Amino acid sequence: MTPHTSQDIQKFLVGRYKDMILNLGLDPVAISPDFDFLERGIIDSLGVLEMITAIEQNFGITVDLEGLDAADLTVLGPLCDYITKTATPTIP
Amino acid sequence: MKTVQIKTLSYGFLKSIEAFGERPAIEVSGKTLTYAQLFRKAASLAATLSRHQEEIEPPLTAVFAYRSETAFAGVLGALLRGYGYVPMNRMFPPDRTRTMLQRSGCRSMLVDAQSEKQLDQVLEGIDYEMIVVLPEREDVRELEARWPKHRFLGTGELASDEQWRPVKVSPDSIAYLLFTSGSTGIPKGVMVAHRNVRHYIEFMTERFSINHEDRFSQTFDMTFDLSVADMFVAWEQGACVCCPSEKALINPGRFINDAHLTIWFSVPSTAVFMKRLGALKPGTYPSLRVSMFCGEALPVEVAKGWADAAPNSIIENIYGPTELTIACTYYRWDSAQSSLEAEHGVVPIGQPFPGMVSLIVDESLTEVKSGEAGELLMTGPQLSLGYWHDPAKTASAFVRPPGRSVVYYRTGDRVRRPIGNGPMLYLGRVDNQIKILGHRVELGEIEAVVREESGVDGVVALGWPKTPGGAGGVEVFLQTEGPTRRDLKERVAKHLPVYMAPRRYHCLSQFPLNANGKYDRAVLLSILEKNK
Repeated sequence: MTPHTSQDIQKFLVGRYKDMILNLGLDPVAISPDFDFLERGIIDSLGVLEMITAIEQNFGITVDLEGLDAADLTVLGPLCDYITKTATPTIP
Repeated sequence: MKTVQIKTLSYGFLKSIEAFGERPAIEVSGKTLTYAQLFRKAASLAATLSRHQEEIEPPLTAVFAYRSETAFAGVLGALLRGYGYVPMNRMFPPDRTRTMLQRSGCRSMLVDAQSEKQLDQVLEGIDYEMIVVLPEREDVRELEARWPKHRFLGTGELASDEQWRPVKVSPDSIAYLLFTSGSTGIPKGVMVAHRNVRHYIEFMTERFSINHEDRFSQTFDMTFDLSVADMFVAWEQGACVCCPSEKALINPGRFINDAHLTIWFSVPSTAVFMKRLGALKPGTYPSLRVSMFCGEALPVEVAKGWADAAPNSIIENIYGPTELTIACTYYRWDSAQSSLEAEHGVVPIGQPFPGMVSLIVDESLTEVKSGEAGELLMTGPQLSLGYWHDPAKTASAFVRPPGRSVVYYRTGDRVRRPIGNGPMLYLGRVDNQIKILGHRVELGEIEAVVREESGVDGVVALGWPKTPGGAGGVEVFLQTEGPTRRDLKERVAKHLPVYMAPRRYHCLSQFPLNANGKYDRAVLLSILEKNK
């Protein structure tokens, strides 16, 4: 468990990829939880790890991805819900 | 008579049709195509190109297709026409694709249904007639109306495969033209000849005793030259290439087991990713018998993890720039020995392929002593033809060192010259090229684009954050007092593939300088380090 809500993390991710979301002609504020970063071409399959690392660094948490269905790994809502439930604070 | 006697890139595929016609050649988009089926599609494309266009210069065809039947049939179709192929990627910005298309001078292109959506942007400004073959599209009238200058051929206009006639091709001609990042801001086209790539294929096929029951991964996009190895080593012996969708690549472990792969080939980053996902548990991938990694430094820890996860597989770290055709050195992982031979936790790159010759030199291109570090130069049958329409760049990278009679390619990679028969060790770059997820990136290219779009002269791009294989992305420093234009990030991203597009921009009124009066990149890096 982390003190951060799924919404916090979603907001961070949308902010991080804001320009590319705008390029798709979408409104970053109105991105729905089923938004798939991979399908929309914002990241490629290896970009996922970079995205997770950014979340870890920003929130000071460690994410164990083992329990997450790979299909949900690049989908905004399920990914952030999973992280909120499972992540632990990073021990400095 | 399907077999063409001269050994060009398509030789092995054509030979396999006879022995393995009904066996699978590719699995892609949930479909399986046999050798016979894939041949018919490719021959139809080749015959279509011949029918609508006389022998033209340059003898190249663009393949604008991504992980689809048309991508594979297109590569083979171009080759059966007697042309080299130029891969294009819809994951790149259309502006970049157009630059590549224009630079290549291609007069024909083969396009799949998904890539077609970018066609309008890619054709914008192409002022000569282009033959655009769209084998997945029925009706091309709308395109014809929009682009009267070009000719569009849909499903109905395809020639029959029986109309294809073998074309004589010189082994010295271009098999594929592959664009890599160029330090001055424009991608460079590397010309790889048929005989170059035949050398790679024959060595690897024999080395791993490839046979028709093998099942190969295809993790690489076609714009990455390692994809050539997957396709043509497999097809040499009637094996099957299994091409996952981008989505399936998110879970490489499941892909290995679902597709019953026997041969794995990826960048080390994929294995790092799998380790992170907990997907390298001991014994998970018993079907693999060969695993190859290439494109960036392979960390010892990752090789160890892979060895446990794929207990029946040999592991090889192979190395080589596009200019030396796919890869040209190899190192067999050995769980007892390799940790001792590694340096900085990175697996050695080993020794040159038979026939290839290495030379490790100092700045004056004089060979360094055993045990010392220097730049790696290589020559041999895989030495490519140089850069397309760029004699100046070719001359500076393909050089004749003092006292040597042959031309070597300067890799720009620093390695340690082995003592005795030991393996070569990769130490880093001599310049500002970095690897992002295995992709080769010239920071100079990014800097040139940023300079152009920002109007700021002082620009430094840095690979950041650092990863075991290179960098996770790019950040940029601008030497400027005021704020930059608000849409800079988007404007720059329009010219660069996602992995090259800078993620953050930092403004500094004055850049730190080093002893030579140049921008001190190390100090700028330390700023990123502090702000982490």
